[in-house]
Amino acid sequence: MTDLAIELSGVGKEYRFFSLDKIHLQVPEGQIMGLIGPNGAGKSTTIRILMGLVHQDCGEVRVLGHSMPAGQVAAKWDIGFASEDMRLYDGLTLGWHMNFMRSIYPKWDAAYAQVLLKRFGLRQEQKIKGLSHGQRVKAMLLLVFARKPKLLVLDEPTTGLDPVARHEILRELTNVMADEGRSVLFSSHNTQDVEQISDQITFIDRGRIIDSMDKELYLDRWRRLRLEVPFGVQLPALPGIIGIRQDGRMAIVTANAFAPDLANAYERSGARVQRIENMTLEEIFVANVEHSREEVEV
Amino acid sequence: MNSTDMKDSAVKHLVLKDWRLNRMQIFLSMAAGVLALGVIQRGGETAFVVGGVWFFMSLILVGHMLPLVGILNERKKQNLAFLMSLPVSFLQYTTAKLLSTLGMFLIPWLTLVSAGLWLIESRGILPRGAIPMALILAFMPFVGFSLITGAVLVSESEGWGIAVNVACSSSYALVWYFLGKIPGLMSNAMAPSPVWNSAARNVLECEFGLVVAILGLTFYLQSKKKDFV
Repeated sequence: MTDLAIELSGVGKEYRFFSLDKIHLQVPEGQIMGLIGPNGAGKSTTIRILMGLVHQDCGEVRVLGHSMPAGQVAAKWDIGFASEDMRLYDGLTLGWHMNFMRSIYPKWDAAYAQVLLKRFGLRQEQKIKGLSHGQRVKAMLLLVFARKPKLLVLDEPTTGLDPVARHEILRELTNVMADEGRSVLFSSHNTQDVEQISDQITFIDRGRIIDSMDKELYLDRWRRLRLEVPFGVQLPALPGIIGIRQDGRMAIVTANAFAPDLANAYERSGARVQRIENMTLEEIFVANVEHSREEVEV
Repeated sequence: MNSTDMKDSAVKHLVLKDWRLNRMQIFLSMAAGVLALGVIQRGGETAFVVGGVWFFMSLILVGHMLPLVGILNERKKQNLAFLMSLPVSFLQYTTAKLLSTLGMFLIPWLTLVSAGLWLIESRGILPRGAIPMALILAFMPFVGFSLITGAVLVSESEGWGIAVNVACSSSYALVWYFLGKIPGLMSNAMAPSPVWNSAARNVLECEFGLVVAILGLTFYLQSKKKDFV
């Protein structure tokens, strides 16, 4: 049985205008899990619960073997957490923050911190208030990476960054992941970032986990079929089809469990399969969210 | 290093961090208080009134500003999320915050109050009978400090912080007025030696009890919270 870095079972949290709906989520050790969801989907609430910053109303949370929130102090020694709404002290230098972290974390890697300083183009003497947004994010990640955590929890770290800064951060994240024992939970609404680095993907929307699986499986299973449907031909209801949009004789079918048999079945019904297209993660995400919302409404 | 050592050191570093961030404020408030005492010592009614008000203001300033700046700003400027990513629980954060804020207040407060009492005792700027009343007045900013610290920690709101600050600032004169009405308190202020009668003792005990109760209640309410960031 694989050890789990993160395990959420039936975790719920009720707010006045939002609720997390008894979610289940597992991140095996050594894996990078991308948590994708639109704004307000519940990504940050989920992350705050697993960090022990928000207490769940129901369900079990285990992080690195520690039950949360009770075991949060022990767990947080091995968690590197950075979120988009986290800020360092404006009036102090990056060097002060590095010393502060070094004084707390016995595993702080000073040599690696120096390497990251160079790679990110940062200087220790710089005050945080003098840094650009991109530099602040890099400074925060430097403080997280150099403490050598077993688990990285990154809540929308690339939000608001220019493409170059995003690329630098994702490249460094890939380097950090060279240590195969390290696990990552990476939340974002930017599917490109998540697709680039993740092994597994979880989609979350309106407080519900709507799908969770291996990234390659998503890309394998999801297809878009463009069909020509002659007059009088009725498209059959087939398993694995989650959406059909028909405009006159043209139809676009979205499949979440594509198999070659599917195309043959449409051909047999009288439709002509013009093209079978792969879908990007963003397209899969949007189709998944729309399908899930339709299901809930039904 | 075992987990207990690690936990302790994280709390310790949060306290040290607060001292580092607020040391200038502590130094300035102490300097202002010492200057006020210098003015009082020059002698004369005007110097006494100006210095006395200034001295009292410096105690109020440090008592009110420390929690507003040290606790509220940390939340407002989103540093709290950074601190809570460290290996501390929210209760440990509260402990560190109470310890550091209380310590940062007590250093200038104790220094200035001791200096003020020394001036009364040895330099005779006031009759020694004024010592109980001086202590009672000096404790008032301590109560105000506790109230504001509790309010900003529990409410996490700038609005509540400012409201309690304004309420405390405007009540000092009122409390002073009512203290003057207590029999056996002001009447002994001009006595040649301190009179520790039941009135003086009761008021001091009341003030001290309030400080302990407010800080205890703050800790209790913080322990009941379920959402921190």
